[in-house]
Amino acid sequence: MIYEISHRTTFSYAWNVSISQHLLHLAPRDKPGQTILQHGFLVEPAPTISQDSIDFFGNNTTYLTVEEPHNRLNIVSSFRAAVEPMVVPQPTETPPWEQTHAAMTNQADPAALDALQFVFVSPFTSSLDAGAYAEASFPAGRPVLDAAIDLMRRIHADFTYEGGVTDISTPIDQVLSERRGVCQDFAHLQIACMRALELPARYVSGYLRTHPPEGEEKRIGADASHAWLAVWVPGFGWVDLDPTNNLIAGDEHVTVAWGRDYGDVSPINGIVLGGGAQNVDVAVEVKPLHEN
Amino acid sequence: MTNKRSLSEDQPFGEALVADYAPVADIFDEMMDPAAGVRPHWSAFLSELGQQTAPELEHCWDTAQRLVRENGTTYNVYDDSGASVRPWRMDPIPMLVAPEEWRQIEAGLIQRAKLLNAIVTDVYSERRLLTDALLPAPLILGNAKFLRPLQGAQPKNSVHLNFMAFDIARAADHRWWVLSDRTQAPSGAGYALENRIVLARTLPEIFRDAQVHRLAGFFQTLSDNLIAETGKDEPLIVLLTPGPHNETYFEHAYLARYLGFPLVEGADLTVRDNKVFLKTLTGLKQVDLIFRRVDGDFCDPLELRTDSLLGVPGLVAAIRAGNVIVSNSLGSGVVECEALMGFLPGLCNALLDESLLLPSLATWWCGQDAERDYVINNLDNLVLHPTFADSSILSVSEEPLYVDPANADMRAAMIERLNRSGHEYYAQETLTLSTAPVWDEGRLQPRPIALRVYVCADGDSYRVMPGGLTRATSSTDSHEVSMQQGDASKDTWVLSDQPVSTFSRLTMIDQTLTLRRSGSNLPSRVADNLFWLGRYAERAENSVRLFRSMVLRLAGEAGASDDPQTLTRLTNILVDFGYLNRHSARKAVAGGIRTVEREMAHLLFERGAPNGLPELIGNLQRISSLVRERLSVDSWRVLNGLNQTVRENASVVRLDFDDVLALLNHILENLAAFSGMQMENMTRTLGWRLLDTGRRLERAAHTAKLMRELAVEGDPAAEGGLDLLLELGDSTMTYRTRYLSSVQLSAVVDLLLVDDTNPRSVAFQLAALDAHMEALPHDLEAATLPPERFLIASLRSSLTLMDIPRVCSQANARGKRHELAKLLEGVQDQTYEVAEALARKYFSHVLPTRAVSAISLVP
Repeated sequence: MIYEISHRTTFSYAWNVSISQHLLHLAPRDKPGQTILQHGFLVEPAPTISQDSIDFFGNNTTYLTVEEPHNRLNIVSSFRAAVEPMVVPQPTETPPWEQTHAAMTNQADPAALDALQFVFVSPFTSSLDAGAYAEASFPAGRPVLDAAIDLMRRIHADFTYEGGVTDISTPIDQVLSERRGVCQDFAHLQIACMRALELPARYVSGYLRTHPPEGEEKRIGADASHAWLAVWVPGFGWVDLDPTNNLIAGDEHVTVAWGRDYGDVSPINGIVLGGGAQNVDVAVEVKPLHEN
Repeated sequence: MTNKRSLSEDQPFGEALVADYAPVADIFDEMMDPAAGVRPHWSAFLSELGQQTAPELEHCWDTAQRLVRENGTTYNVYDDSGASVRPWRMDPIPMLVAPEEWRQIEAGLIQRAKLLNAIVTDVYSERRLLTDALLPAPLILGNAKFLRPLQGAQPKNSVHLNFMAFDIARAADHRWWVLSDRTQAPSGAGYALENRIVLARTLPEIFRDAQVHRLAGFFQTLSDNLIAETGKDEPLIVLLTPGPHNETYFEHAYLARYLGFPLVEGADLTVRDNKVFLKTLTGLKQVDLIFRRVDGDFCDPLELRTDSLLGVPGLVAAIRAGNVIVSNSLGSGVVECEALMGFLPGLCNALLDESLLLPSLATWWCGQDAERDYVINNLDNLVLHPTFADSSILSVSEEPLYVDPANADMRAAMIERLNRSGHEYYAQETLTLSTAPVWDEGRLQPRPIALRVYVCADGDSYRVMPGGLTRATSSTDSHEVSMQQGDASKDTWVLSDQPVSTFSRLTMIDQTLTLRRSGSNLPSRVADNLFWLGRYAERAENSVRLFRSMVLRLAGEAGASDDPQTLTRLTNILVDFGYLNRHSARKAVAGGIRTVEREMAHLLFERGAPNGLPELIGNLQRISSLVRERLSVDSWRVLNGLNQTVRENASVVRLDFDDVLALLNHILENLAAFSGMQMENMTRTLGWRLLDTGRRLERAAHTAKLMRELAVEGDPAAEGGLDLLLELGDSTMTYRTRYLSSVQLSAVVDLLLVDDTNPRSVAFQLAALDAHMEALPHDLEAATLPPERFLIASLRSSLTLMDIPRVCSQANARGKRHELAKLLEGVQDQTYEVAEALARKYFSHVLPTRAVSAISLVP
């Protein structure tokens, strides 16, 4: 499937900002099963610095500054991505979850070393209660992917999707006790659960194809960015799980970046000098072009 | 043991000093060998010390304490109000280290510094230590101090660690062991320096005779090396501090001054075009090197901790672009992790091809099976710690975890955690610290000690500070030594077997300086603070003068000629100027003189009284502490003394006129001393100009305000108003010498308003302000005057053109001199407008930066 995606963010300020600096995680990366065909940014006013680089996790980043007074900043990221359906191992055939840790101890194996860093608590995934919640899905000897999918299913069943009740700083334990939140809360929650059991899990930021209700035209800009997680299966690699929709990510998920948690891949992180009250307007459009 | 009471007061201590000293059995004592007596390197020191009498020694001790207080050496302790500042505690007995022993410590620490630097270099570049499994990956990848955005950012010459500290202690086996490595932004070197300066003045003869290695050369190396790092002849190097609320802010200011680097906060710096600039009064100046005292993850809210208010957005990008050096490099804290210590012997062999010279405190990281099992089997004899205090699920503090041997459940739970998540813990042996003598209760007493020793880069090697900070616990049996817990510090004397170089940092050798007239790197924030320091100092002086006049009237000392209305007048002024509340003042006046006295006592001594004396002096102290590094030691001493005087009097509740007058006079003298130092000792830099601008503006406004109160209505000459005006305006003597005794309104108005030879007059202040505005950086090409200069010029011309006799005689039906009133009002309003214009022009780019986030996450 080929998608045409555009993501526009417009900041407007009460009065002039004298300098603004932004770090973007908006340019999508290639990965097995996903090829970026073209990508471009449109930034208004014209940036003083626009510098692309690759971060620690291999994601594309863009460092952007506007060093002249402005009261409005418009950032549009648009690209085309070819996404293939994911080949996923048979969950019940994967190794028992307890063996995952041993599979990561060979530091000479780049894949194992990379997976290892996703075992540790990171700023947005700290939780005291996640381990206890996870346990029911992880009886001794259960295949790791089978258990992770069960955990995803439980989160989807136990939690209510509700916008506006949490924000990015809401602690996981509060999400756990109130049983509601949005996609990044559920992703962080399952990551915290996996890590409490010493299992590697990473946060994925990207987009999801949405289907308009039957008989309705899809509205432009009605989509949004999305977040899910990936779990590591020894001998295979990473499998993307979307607890918000109880889905193994297939060809309807387009990956932008991954990291330990939201903090590593926040789409736009910015600092402005001056400006007063601000308003942010975001519009995302995910347009499927044609089947491959 | 000799009974110390048998000692006569005026006899020198002699042998008694040592005979009285009783080390704890089975613990190594630095001074005394229980079998053989005093250790050789202590004997000369002790015999000189023994020649002193008890009172002399007490005097030395008092001197040390006083110097510490006078120099304002403080250590802030975090609390909710952020206000707890306590003096540095220092012991007058130095810790002595023998030359031979020091050489071993020195060699060991230089090796360790190289080793740690090599580890940091590898971790942020090739990561060979990880892929070759020489270092367990969890200790790096799970470490919150491993800053991923810095991966690949290699400093020139691969020097990540320019300045570090090591805590070392002597164990029962007589060897020195390393307790911890401080590789981010170690504190304490400034305190070590301060201790040395104080102690060298407390025990001057003994210090001179003792062949003690001097510290100045070390700081010279530190500074030379930082300069060399930049590759420039005259680089701009700044010392980045988290600000005055930091526990060791005193030290930041102290070091900045000593090393000659501007002290800056994150908000003073800005990144433009991937370069770091210091915002100064004269514009943006590019910074070559940042010597940081801010933890790495707080240094850039854009790429590191986004909630940090202490950093510089864009700093990491500037580092990556190679446009600025940050020292120590961001991310170098990764090797502070104590669980690493167990791996250092192996890493030393692998990286340096040498054996590790100084052992570390025995450490077992439980991420390995054998080590974990050992820890579980010896749980009761070891101290368990979380590996990564910052990120561990179980613990958020750096306190060791205590496992009660008697509590089986707790033990079992801990063992289960160790088996499941061993990598989150490490265990250490307990170390019995050696003891050294401290001066307590009039004699030497043994106390456990640990040393913090500093190391700086010196080309491609390292140099050790010959000395350091010795810390002594307050009780004999404590194993934990930390400055935050109120323990005392000691100077450390590293003895030399040869005569020592007495090089002082102030005498530059072999270096030709480019002659300079002014430091132009005045950060805008500092300029703002200096401006306010001037205003507060003047405000305090004006207020104290008012209080003194009031107290004089209450005491009936102002002379029989004084009009009885004067007391009421003064009370009105105190109300109008906001010192007394209108309601309480009315009650006080109605209640008679005793009630007025009570109100005054409240104003003078009550902590919470708005505009009261404690608040005025407190403001002055607070603002001066923000620009501490810009003030001379003497100025600081004066201000610090003022604050103490006011604090000591804070408990006074009753107004004793003699005491109060003495106090107010004392305060006025000190304020005058401060302003005298400002006039006579400060170079005429932009900073001085702003300080003086603040003072002049405040004085002009205050004088105008006083005149509006006392000269506009009625017949001031007849009602004692003019006498009071002259008194408050500090111009009585000038008037008397000029006009003998006849007090007339026009003469007073001339003297206080228009006469530009009187340093108390409004015209004098305006002339000074005009000169300052001219000297401050401004657009030389502009055709019109900037607003602040226009305001001053128009005020000056209206004073010049003023027809004094007419203005003073023209009054309306109710006896109000309209024209005079209008003019005075103009002076008052326009001086405040000038202040605002200055703030807009010179200080406003200090506006804080703010983080924005664009979270658009929905399904």
